[in-house]
Amino acid sequence: MKKANKFEAGSANAGKSLSRRTILKGSAAAATTALATPYLMGSPVLASGHHEILHWSWLAASDGEIWGQMIDDFNDAHKDKGVQIRLELVNFEQYDTKVLAATATGRAPDFGWGIAGTRAQMVRDGVIVPLDDLSGEVGLDIGDFSELSISAARYPKYGNGMYMVPLDLMSLQPEINLDHVAEAGLDVNSAPATGEELIEWGKAMTKMDGDTVTRSGILMTGSGVQPTVTWGIVAEQMGFQRASADLTTAAVNPEAGIAAMEWVLALFDEHKVSTRDITDRYKAFGTGNGSIFWTGPWTLNGYVGQGLNFKTSLFPKIGSELKTYFEMGGLELYKQQDEGRYKATLEAVKWLSDNSFLWTTVGRGASPRKSILERPDYKTAGHDWSVRGAFVEGMEFATIPEIPVMAGPEFTIYSGGNFLARKLEGVWAGSKTPEEAMAQITERWQEGLDEG
Amino acid sequence: MTSVEAKFGALRRTPVDGEKPPLDWIGYLFVAFFAAPFLIFNIAPVIFGTYVSLTEWSIIGQPKWIGFENYRDALTDEWVWVAFRNIILYALIIVPGVTILGLVFALFVNKSYPLSGLARTLFFAPNVVSATVIGLVWVYLLDTQYGLFNNVLGSFGISAIPWLTSTDWALIGVSMASIWWDLGLAFVLLLAALQDIPRDLIEASTVDGAGPWNRLRFIILPHLRPVLSMVITLQLISTLRIFSQVYVMTNGGPAGASSSPIHYIYSVALVRNLFGYASALAISLFVVILVLTIVQRFAIREMAS
Repeated sequence: MKKANKFEAGSANAGKSLSRRTILKGSAAAATTALATPYLMGSPVLASGHHEILHWSWLAASDGEIWGQMIDDFNDAHKDKGVQIRLELVNFEQYDTKVLAATATGRAPDFGWGIAGTRAQMVRDGVIVPLDDLSGEVGLDIGDFSELSISAARYPKYGNGMYMVPLDLMSLQPEINLDHVAEAGLDVNSAPATGEELIEWGKAMTKMDGDTVTRSGILMTGSGVQPTVTWGIVAEQMGFQRASADLTTAAVNPEAGIAAMEWVLALFDEHKVSTRDITDRYKAFGTGNGSIFWTGPWTLNGYVGQGLNFKTSLFPKIGSELKTYFEMGGLELYKQQDEGRYKATLEAVKWLSDNSFLWTTVGRGASPRKSILERPDYKTAGHDWSVRGAFVEGMEFATIPEIPVMAGPEFTIYSGGNFLARKLEGVWAGSKTPEEAMAQITERWQEGLDEG
Repeated sequence: MTSVEAKFGALRRTPVDGEKPPLDWIGYLFVAFFAAPFLIFNIAPVIFGTYVSLTEWSIIGQPKWIGFENYRDALTDEWVWVAFRNIILYALIIVPGVTILGLVFALFVNKSYPLSGLARTLFFAPNVVSATVIGLVWVYLLDTQYGLFNNVLGSFGISAIPWLTSTDWALIGVSMASIWWDLGLAFVLLLAALQDIPRDLIEASTVDGAGPWNRLRFIILPHLRPVLSMVITLQLISTLRIFSQVYVMTNGGPAGASSSPIHYIYSVALVRNLFGYASALAISLFVVILVLTIVQRFAIREMAS
């Protein structure tokens, strides 16, 4: 009876466009298509049988354009060889989370950008593929890389394997506004080389309105990256170590760390060469509201492009040993269900590394490849040496790397929102003494080292 | 009978006496178009989030069950207290700010003064702009050295205020941007409610000698009570979840002075990959919002009675 009724109900509407069965069928088809579409679209293998390598990058500013050009060059060079790279842009802050999520669902990109020393968790969890054996298979010449770069690509606590192909070396060096230098009657050829000279230059170029700094001789912000990284560099120069060499003891020589906090505070309150009121440091330097600004080579394209009259000098020696912040960018391979993909991916990464002359002259940073650094045109290519030179020559003393442990992100000095930056913000704002902050930082960092 | 009813009426069968009526699947199908996404994208994440809050998990591997440890950790995390203290302060500034200004603007537009049509558009316009854009615009407006606000204050001889760079002012700076952004919705809701008040009631009170203040107090506000309650509730929930303005304008700084729970949850989850802990904070925030909303609605009801 029920069957007959159902059939009758269906036949009663047979000549019409809408029936229960039609709706259900249509819905099922639509749902299936909707669910399957991402998988069909996201297939890493081209329909024609060509091999497609999926690459994630967070480079979105002017350096991103150069990187896009590098990928285009690769694709042009390989269009008849059946291999192509598909570049997808991923927001920097969400990059790690998305890589983890993609790996957990078996759909990780083949390779992506990484910052050396910040990947301990991914290394431990097997998200990033070790490259020691694979590099031999594809003929990657490890001997052509600087020792520093290869050592920074390793994680001593996790088998000391190499987990990244180094692509660029970066350091923080001062950029100096030459109009302000001329206005203050300073000699542009003798940029400050010591802490005292730095303060002297800062005072000469600072502009005040009563007791208020209206143009910072030394560009600083009241919170975020700039005071944090400044403290990190000065502290290490004064003898502080975030972690001992064997990664077992946190905050070695805390007195030096406290002295460095006081040095930063003095920029605002004693020497009055900086103001806490700057909200956007890049914009402030670009618009002439700061005279000396230590930053990285990623700013060059923008400032040169806008016609800012500036030069770059080496970081001054403020403490007992000349040091500055070191950062290395490189390419890392992510875990795939089909391990056969690794070789083709690393071959593509090798090509990008071998052809990274453009990237390390116009893109950003200094090359970790000896063969590129030795090229006679390395100094003349890209931006003028007066703005690019310090970022290459200064790599010699760029010896403040990331701490390659699980809690590494909490140790990084180039951060505006990590644990360290938040603790230090209390000092800059006057709500915490340097001693209190150092005690809390030491306790948390020690827990991080103990975790592994 | 409309054509739709005719179409589906033919699909129905009248049950015979004593027979259980057949299940009408077509109804479930139509409901499913809303219910399925709601269950998958709203309810399931809440259940999963509750489970994750009781574990230690960083996406890769299986979550490790740790019971209420994340909640215990939250109680001793100074940044959690700072963030929750801040949203109470945000609520105390933004909710009355939006409600009172929304009411004032609605009263103005409802009077049909010259340019009130333009004012209606201008008052509502910020609400259709994304919070990120609002944040960026207000960063420029509130810049200590070159911002419009300090320029205007300077012309009156008032020294520059560090709206976004001082621990004393950052929360106020972010609140000002939020009020401007949120005002539009409150304004429209209150304007609609004002237009629903019978004109003869207003006229009768005027004839009886009621002045503007008494009309507002004894006629208009009692009629607006249900909408005011809704505006306050919506605004309270929105303020307790404040994120975009904080992220864009101050990133929670300086020294956490403008941070909010959602901003802290974001940094715990996406910067530190502590998804268990972040989930525990999110569930805690949910409970706080629920309790405050119930208390606030109860208080409004009590005041009215």
